[in-house]
Amino acid sequence: MTSGNVLNVEHVSVSFPAEHGRRLWAVDDVSLGLERGTVLGIVGESGSGKTTVARSITGQEVPSSGEIFLDGVPLDAHRSRSTNRAIQMVFQDPYASLNPRLTVRQVLRELLRIHHLVSRDDEEERCRELMRDVGLPPAALDGKPGQFSGGQRQRIAIARALAVEPQVLIADEPVSALDVSVQATILQLFHDLRERLSLSVIFISHNLAVVRHLSDRVAVMYLGKIVEEGEREQIFSDPRHPYTRSLLASVPRLHAASVAPPRLRGEPPSPVDRPSGCAFHPRCPRAEEICARESPALLEAGDGGHLAACHFRNEPPTDLEDS
Amino acid sequence: MSVVSAAVSALAVEDLSVELPRDGTTIRPVNGVSFTVERGRSLAIVGESGSGKSVTLRAILGLLPKGGRITSGHVAVEGRTLKESRRNLGRGRDAHLSIVFQDPLAALNPVLTVGAQIAEAPRFVLGLTRRAARDRALELLRLVGIPDPVRRYDAYPHELSGGLRQRVMIAVALSSEPKVLLCDEPTTSLDVTIQAQVLALLSDLRRDEGLALVFVTHDLGVAAEVAEDLAVMYAGRLVETGPVSEVLSSPKHPYTFGLLESAIDVDTPDRIPLAIPGSLPDLSQLPKGCAFHPRCFLATPECTTTDVELRSVGEGRASACLHADQLTIGTRRS
Repeated sequence: MTSGNVLNVEHVSVSFPAEHGRRLWAVDDVSLGLERGTVLGIVGESGSGKTTVARSITGQEVPSSGEIFLDGVPLDAHRSRSTNRAIQMVFQDPYASLNPRLTVRQVLRELLRIHHLVSRDDEEERCRELMRDVGLPPAALDGKPGQFSGGQRQRIAIARALAVEPQVLIADEPVSALDVSVQATILQLFHDLRERLSLSVIFISHNLAVVRHLSDRVAVMYLGKIVEEGEREQIFSDPRHPYTRSLLASVPRLHAASVAPPRLRGEPPSPVDRPSGCAFHPRCPRAEEICARESPALLEAGDGGHLAACHFRNEPPTDLEDS
Repeated sequence: MSVVSAAVSALAVEDLSVELPRDGTTIRPVNGVSFTVERGRSLAIVGESGSGKSVTLRAILGLLPKGGRITSGHVAVEGRTLKESRRNLGRGRDAHLSIVFQDPLAALNPVLTVGAQIAEAPRFVLGLTRRAARDRALELLRLVGIPDPVRRYDAYPHELSGGLRQRVMIAVALSSEPKVLLCDEPTTSLDVTIQAQVLALLSDLRRDEGLALVFVTHDLGVAAEVAEDLAVMYAGRLVETGPVSEVLSSPKHPYTFGLLESAIDVDTPDRIPLAIPGSLPDLSQLPKGCAFHPRCFLATPECTTTDVELRSVGEGRASACLHADQLTIGTRRS
């Protein structure tokens, strides 16, 4: 556990009951640290466990094992109001997370009062300040969620999260439901907020382009485990796990018509039936006999702080990965 | 891509306009849209939500929502004009056109096995025997890359993963042996590695079976991978058309330019994406003149009064902008 971190996730596992008395391990021994004032991106496909990690941090899921520390203090299952306040979440669909019958001002004032954040006289000024923070005019305070566009609604959801002055903001696919021309504005807003409010953010997305634009550090998840973690450019310029390389190659590109992506075979298996050894081995173009037998630990690869869970993390990619 | 030579094109759409009732008024989500797709080629129609790209596909199939009607235009498949009344689904449907939707779970029948759904058209549209239809369905399951087709034949849609379901949807679409496959965001709900597999499958089908593809998407990267030709749609109109690589490297319409500038590219992390100012117009209150002018950095007073049609801006290229010649490669606003 590093002391400069605002949040530490230590060996957290989350499991759910599955058919025939078995258990589904949605998150399997995950450790993460979020440095203050930085953005940690978590990428993965559906079923990778990225959202379950977020839900265990916010307290919506209780880990089967492991611990989560906020500012070095362990969080237990029953969280105080101030702990809940300290960790806020922004979702993919802002419409589902905003009360359609209340004006933006009513939503924000209620939060300011419940948490005793400002005096009544200062409420209006704080509401206006929040609108400025998220790039909306003060007049937006009089609107109800239904009157706003998708991008504006996401700004309101962010303002609501910021209202309680959280230490950690968790954003789960916050731009995925927005039109392309609007995604850029929300991404820019996250950039600004990190700079101005030195916010600490966990940014969860399946979209690698978005994660690369925003993150300082990146963790890649597959079937409940972190398979690679490192500084942004370590992950994107020097990926050490074949899964990370496949993900990067699969992103549709504007000007790469001639390059055929290496096609990953098959689909991720069910977390109930985790393959033996490395869970990625049945789909891995690099897999050898050892991969079916031994589960690789998340170990140092290349430069400092770059970790990968692959037996071949320190060897160059093979030609097999290009077919 | 051109408006003429409808006789030889796999699909020719000419001057298609659609009206839909909304909130007591009438909107026109598709307005004078024309394009052609040749055999074995693919056209991507890109646009944001509300641009009219999906309604265009539905109008081609005659699947408009209640109260919607086609007010002008015609559609021809392999030179044969489709009558609107024949373009409904059901046993008498036009076998030469098929569609793949974004959400296969909503489009597939939940109480029929996937095999039965794939065998339906071979049996009732193509007139095969029960046994031959089953064999054809198994062949299609193999063609779309479903492992263990004999076992999957008896599976229900909910028993399959999202990627497999979309493959089944494609098999159903191919089961009537269409000449033209319409795809409405078929990979949007799929994971990126599965999306790559489905895009590769569609490209193979185009090349090997000579299918003509029309691919509707909001993702320029997907369009670049899957299509040879690109049509950019805004507020019910095509505003730019041309070969996909040329349009994406030197756009001739400010909206296309703006879409490219706002794109978040995985390979250029330090380039800050620029959003297009403003938002999509309400179709019931479209701006006069060019519908894009309130958001356009090239707009002049002329743009607020002149209704601009697509016109040629070079070999195979067309743009509906009065100032197309002012857009040059590499220029960024601000």
